[in-house]
Amino acid sequence: MKRVARALAAARSLPALALALALIAGGFAVWTGWDWYAAAHDDSAEYAAQRDVALAAGEQAVQNLNTLDHRDVERGLDLWESATTGDLHDQLASGREEFAAQVQTAKTVTTARVLSGAVTELDDRAGRARVLVALRVTVKASDGQRTDKDSRMLGELTRTGGRWKLSALGQAPVGGTSAG
Amino acid sequence: MTWLLRDESTRKPAAVADGTPGPEPGTAPADDTAVDAVDVSEAESDGDQAPSRGRLSVRLRRIAVAVLAVALVLAGCGFFYGAHQVRSTASARNRALTDTEATTRVAGDVGNALARVFSYTPDGLDAAERSARSVLDGRAARQYAELLGRIRAELTEQRVTLSTQAVRVGVLELDGDSARLLVFLDQVARRDRAAATSAAAQLTVTARWEHDRWRIVDIRTR
Repeated sequence: MKRVARALAAARSLPALALALALIAGGFAVWTGWDWYAAAHDDSAEYAAQRDVALAAGEQAVQNLNTLDHRDVERGLDLWESATTGDLHDQLASGREEFAAQVQTAKTVTTARVLSGAVTELDDRAGRARVLVALRVTVKASDGQRTDKDSRMLGELTRTGGRWKLSALGQAPVGGTSAG
Repeated sequence: MTWLLRDESTRKPAAVADGTPGPEPGTAPADDTAVDAVDVSEAESDGDQAPSRGRLSVRLRRIAVAVLAVALVLAGCGFFYGAHQVRSTASARNRALTDTEATTRVAGDVGNALARVFSYTPDGLDAAERSARSVLDGRAARQYAELLGRIRAELTEQRVTLSTQAVRVGVLELDGDSARLLVFLDQVARRDRAAATSAAAQLTVTARWEHDRWRIVDIRTR
């Protein structure tokens, strides 16, 4: 009858064991759950995501603003206007007709490729960012001749309606700021 | 989950001891061996018997606890995986700008290093080379040595003075002890008495954190 007694003892200690295991499982779930919540609500992860969104939008906008085909000026300029906001947008909109006429006379096709881009400043609350973009612009003249030109652009982005748009864009000056 | 299995197998002998009728009521247990024989057959047909309500509820409770424990473990694994996914995205791993201090540090170090190694006077080439030894490493160091070896004679002969300045530095990636940067350089060269000419350069630079400072290991023009 020893076997039966042993079995009885084992059966009685089982609930305790089960309870302990359940508690451990519960503790594990609580710990990992908290960890997951912390990771999902990490401010710096959100900031990093904003940085990458701003950079992607900035690179695309800079590329758009350096791309124009004389055969389809209207669509190109629409793209310019949709990628910009603020003063830059107003400038482009007011000079649009004059510019379109110029391009159509010159019959040039300009394409651009972003070589590299980086965000240098980001204020995700105010919705402002600055980007550096190294760009290769290819201009195809009316006689079919192609010329490549590397340029370095400084852009300022402003977030409007949840989207990052260029509010200022210029070439980084060369030799202008010596001994500074 | 092994405890659940053990539960099933160890509980059966107890049921026999309680006097639950066997599948063949005619065979009365004569000795220990007989009990064992009944035990074995009962183990298979226990479910068909009608256990008392108390025992059923104990069993249900145990199953509930087991299911709960399994569910909690699975949930834990899910959370663990989720947290790992969130943390390991490329965007979260890149500390550029999110770690302000480190970003400023690497941008400053790399900008200064480039300005130092690419600025020299006809008689001060050695100083530039010394700077290069302390801030350049790997492929960048080899490239620099090769470049200087090629132009050294020319530079001294033509009395070339070059001054370089990093006008803008942007950090592309920063991950622990390695960083990639985009640097806009301005270079002003002067040949003896001739007028100065300025040039612009765009570089992507790879830097590595070594012995408490950033060293440039690769330079590529864009």
